[in-house]
Amino acid sequence: MEPKTGLYIDTGYGIGEALDIEALKGVATDEFKPAVCKAEPYWSDPDKIEIIKSDIANEGLKAVVIAGPSVRVYQDVFKFDGVITERVNLREHVIWCQPANHEDTQMLAEDYVRMGLTKVTKYQDKPPFTEETVKSILVIGGGAAGLTAALDAANAGYEVFLVEKEAELGGWANKFFKAFTGEPPYDQLVDSPLKSKIDAVKSNAKIKVFASSRVYAISGAPGMFDAVIRPDGPWIDELNHKQDTWLKVQLARQKQAQEGGVAEAQTDEEKAAAGGWAVGEELSLDFPHEKVRVGAVVLAAGWRPEDPAKYESLGYGKYPDVITNAQMEELAQKGKIKRPSDGKDVHSIAFLECREENSENPFLNNSYVTCLVTLKQAKYLRESNQNGRAYIFYENMRTPGQYEKFYQTMQDDPGVFLSAGKVVGVSADGAGLAVNVKDTLLGEQLKVKVDMVVLATGMVPVTEDSAVVNLRYRQGPFLPKNPYGFNDSHFICFPYETQRTGIYTAGCVKSPMDFQGAESDATGAALKAIQCAELVSRGEAVHPRAGDQSYPELFITRCTQCKRCTDECPFGAYDEKPDGTPLPNPTRCRRCAICMGSCPERIISFRDHSVDMIGSMIKSIGVPDEYSEKPRVIVFICENDAYPVVDMAGINRLQYSGFVRFVPLRCLGNINLVWIADALSKGIDGIMLIGCKYGDDYQCHFVKGSELASYRVSKVAETLQRLVLESERIQVFQLGIDEYGKLPDMINGFMDTLSQFDPNPYKGF
Amino acid sequence: MANEIIVEPDLQFTKDLIKAGATDLKKCYQCATCSVACRVSPDNSPYPRKEMIWAQWGLKDRLLNDPDVWLCHQCNDCSTLCPRGAYPADVLKAIRKMLIQKLSWPSFMGSLVGESSMAVLALGIPILVVLLMTYFSNGFTFSSPAPVHYGQFISYIPIQVIYTLALIFAVVSMVFSLKNYWTMLDKNNPPTAQEPRKGFVPSLIEALKEILPHSTFKDCEANYIRYVAHFMVFWGMIGLFVTTAIVAFNIDILSLAPPSRGGPGTIPIKILGNVSAIAFVAGLAIMLVRRLGSPEQAGNSSYFDWFFLWIIFGTGLTGLITELSRWAGSVSGAYFFYMVHLMFVLALLLYLPFSKFAHLGYRTIAIAWGKSVGRKMTVPVVPNFAPPIRAEEPEAAKEATV
Repeated sequence: MEPKTGLYIDTGYGIGEALDIEALKGVATDEFKPAVCKAEPYWSDPDKIEIIKSDIANEGLKAVVIAGPSVRVYQDVFKFDGVITERVNLREHVIWCQPANHEDTQMLAEDYVRMGLTKVTKYQDKPPFTEETVKSILVIGGGAAGLTAALDAANAGYEVFLVEKEAELGGWANKFFKAFTGEPPYDQLVDSPLKSKIDAVKSNAKIKVFASSRVYAISGAPGMFDAVIRPDGPWIDELNHKQDTWLKVQLARQKQAQEGGVAEAQTDEEKAAAGGWAVGEELSLDFPHEKVRVGAVVLAAGWRPEDPAKYESLGYGKYPDVITNAQMEELAQKGKIKRPSDGKDVHSIAFLECREENSENPFLNNSYVTCLVTLKQAKYLRESNQNGRAYIFYENMRTPGQYEKFYQTMQDDPGVFLSAGKVVGVSADGAGLAVNVKDTLLGEQLKVKVDMVVLATGMVPVTEDSAVVNLRYRQGPFLPKNPYGFNDSHFICFPYETQRTGIYTAGCVKSPMDFQGAESDATGAALKAIQCAELVSRGEAVHPRAGDQSYPELFITRCTQCKRCTDECPFGAYDEKPDGTPLPNPTRCRRCAICMGSCPERIISFRDHSVDMIGSMIKSIGVPDEYSEKPRVIVFICENDAYPVVDMAGINRLQYSGFVRFVPLRCLGNINLVWIADALSKGIDGIMLIGCKYGDDYQCHFVKGSELASYRVSKVAETLQRLVLESERIQVFQLGIDEYGKLPDMINGFMDTLSQFDPNPYKGF
Repeated sequence: MANEIIVEPDLQFTKDLIKAGATDLKKCYQCATCSVACRVSPDNSPYPRKEMIWAQWGLKDRLLNDPDVWLCHQCNDCSTLCPRGAYPADVLKAIRKMLIQKLSWPSFMGSLVGESSMAVLALGIPILVVLLMTYFSNGFTFSSPAPVHYGQFISYIPIQVIYTLALIFAVVSMVFSLKNYWTMLDKNNPPTAQEPRKGFVPSLIEALKEILPHSTFKDCEANYIRYVAHFMVFWGMIGLFVTTAIVAFNIDILSLAPPSRGGPGTIPIKILGNVSAIAFVAGLAIMLVRRLGSPEQAGNSSYFDWFFLWIIFGTGLTGLITELSRWAGSVSGAYFFYMVHLMFVLALLLYLPFSKFAHLGYRTIAIAWGKSVGRKMTVPVVPNFAPPIRAEEPEAAKEATV
């Protein structure tokens, strides 16, 4: 067989006792004729590794297939330079979950060996994608997070460009009257500690600061981003408007497409926005600007105070003495706290961190930071006025970690009154204000008379108002957002990631955070940016397939310009050429192969992963005839979460039907419908797809892979009808990585469903 | 809104409470562990949770008009279980102290007894009075031939006059304060659902039925020994009071010589007196040992606590030593301790309405008031109680109830 292959069957772990190894070797040698076929226990032992290495040298092996434990173990041991290494999981997927020395178990092992040996025949020899890249870092935002990211990246030896829209560095953290110490005993406030950091950034030779500037556009890809930096001006509003219009049109089209119609663009402006963003549009730079090439971007653009206009029901706008917490900072900076309306001393303040009882506007952007700011400002009052009274009415009081100490300190202060509650109303009361609150801890409706009311408005990420990064990607200038309005990534596991490779968020643009949190977050983002610049310089993928040297290749002459790959790529890796064909940007690619699944012409492939490869593996499965009562089911599993789940089921010796054959995919979104057609036409009785949970709190490593898979599968009903098969033969399942206990029921339940149908009539064709 | 309250926190009151021993009251975060833990708190608006937030918010009027503070028998279960270390029992205790002081009549007596800075004066008055009495009776002649004759050491007449006056002062002051308290409770508490209210006398009788056998106190299982000690002191005190009353009646009205003079030790009145005295002193000793030995169980002891405890303990102890000295044949010892005993007794009588001693009045009144408005004091606690699972009501039945 080609390439010259060695098969090494591990008889350890009980594999030798549970399977007929000679028969297994027989199948391999009869059907594939590998150059070497050996069966011995524990191939991972150093002396056994030496045997394999000498076989490679002596026999000239180009591929090695190890049939033994899961691919998730001994990855570093079974690593042979310049040799294709493939693993067949006889342990977790076969003997640990099937009865020993059973006919079906043996058939299962034989099929996995066939699939492994078939797979190596389909590898292509291609070097990694390399192009000239740079490693400098662009940091957007000069606040606490941006300054930290810039300094950390510069100190690690990387050139940094720092863009700040205001004339002065420092951002919000520098405007506050006082800040938390972040040090024991956690009960004091200090002056804003950013000054030294600003000086360090200004004096660092590796950091170039662009003050009063914004990013006009970013084009290119990781390792070769071209960022245009332009002095701040009214142009930003025009750009925002243009971008918002484009987004509006796109969303309308998507909605229409879901409802099965076509959205008609109304105005000229909307008509112009109907296509992909920036497609076929030359970037004209007829204004003062600077253009820099960077390897990665840290987005630390921060936040703005929530618009208080919607809190009219709490008296904002109606009474001058109802102010926001941002205004309170300014007020406190002026010395003794005085009332905005008449300049008199303030003796009592009601801090409202809870909504008005009938309001549909909760403080959506309220966070633990807002809670802390409220406590902090209560201290301003208490320190400014010995007899001052601070009433704090909250919906939630969140003071995580050591901030509990600050909360306790404020709680101990006799002049601070804390209670949960809902505001009934704020009204004028003499010269002051009266606040009515219900559902309080006192069990009654309260009325407090105060001099001033402070609304604890939240922190809105600036990406709410503007794309900020202003990408020139076909999928749009924005970083995609999650349902909560923040930049989307896989927040549970990979908080720094965004859906745009090479751009990492840090600080309050990602989620409200305190000063110390923003600093440590910025350090992490700087490291991620450096990692990205380094990996792409070697032609390797970034997270989550870090180090993967394969990349998608398109046989473009067969492309029909359907644009599915450009639309479906969760990371916007494809731009569009003037002729409508996709323009891949390999360094933006995360190698999830969702595009490979999306392509109806099957022209997208990786060197070690292709439509043909998986199709051939499926075809190599032995399908017994319809009278044997041995159905066959192919289970496509996502290799990020579902594969470990199957391994864990094996480790826990959970038993399930032996008629299933697992085929791991890079992501469930990698599924190409042709494989389903291949399988069914070969006589496979049923197909399961097990992927990550999707929806608002998705678990997919590639954001929307499992969702796309289930969308695609919903469209195969037609194919099934053509083949005269029941649609229940194909089902998509969602499984969390911790849910291995559900796997046997999931599989056996599917087998029960199949048992209601006749065998696939295409067996034997 | 009918039950909207206008909150004007009295910062000074909160500070005063903190000073009066409720040092950690601001730490409460209203988890209600205290009210759950308390074995005697009623099911309906239980204490001490609500008192905790009233104290934090400086709601002085609420707290001073709250009879519940007297329903607490200070077993300290709440304080030991409080996850925040807010010591609810100490807060209630401090409120009780503030109330006694506030209702003191005349009011300066409240601060005389309650403030540690006034200790010298508070203790000096009874000492001086007794010393003067002794001096004018026979000029400090401690050594005289046996038998002991207290009447010759200090003549009875000034004692009768001064102590009777002190007692009358105490009783009048106490009655006056308690009457005010009852009125205050009536006026400042919302009318309750239970109508008609019971009258004062039936309520008082009902309260006494609970107080005399210490039935509620006994429910504070966590601190059972305190119940025993208090029971001993309480009945010891009543026994001593009865003894004293009979002896005084014999001497003053019937002109019979006191039985100590030559009578046998087995006559009933002497047995009653001695048994009572032993119970009294032993009970107080238990309390003192616990307060000194395990403050975490007994709760923080303030000046207010110590003042009362030492005076009442001193009264019992010196009385007992006086008797023992007489039996031992030490005439001068008997006279000396008799003199000290008189000092303690005078302090006890004089300060009754202003010291912690006043709790006997306030607590009785608060419990009686509770009875009159139908506030259930105790709900039996069933250990490991799990509510019965009710079968799903049929739809029709639900509609019918609506």
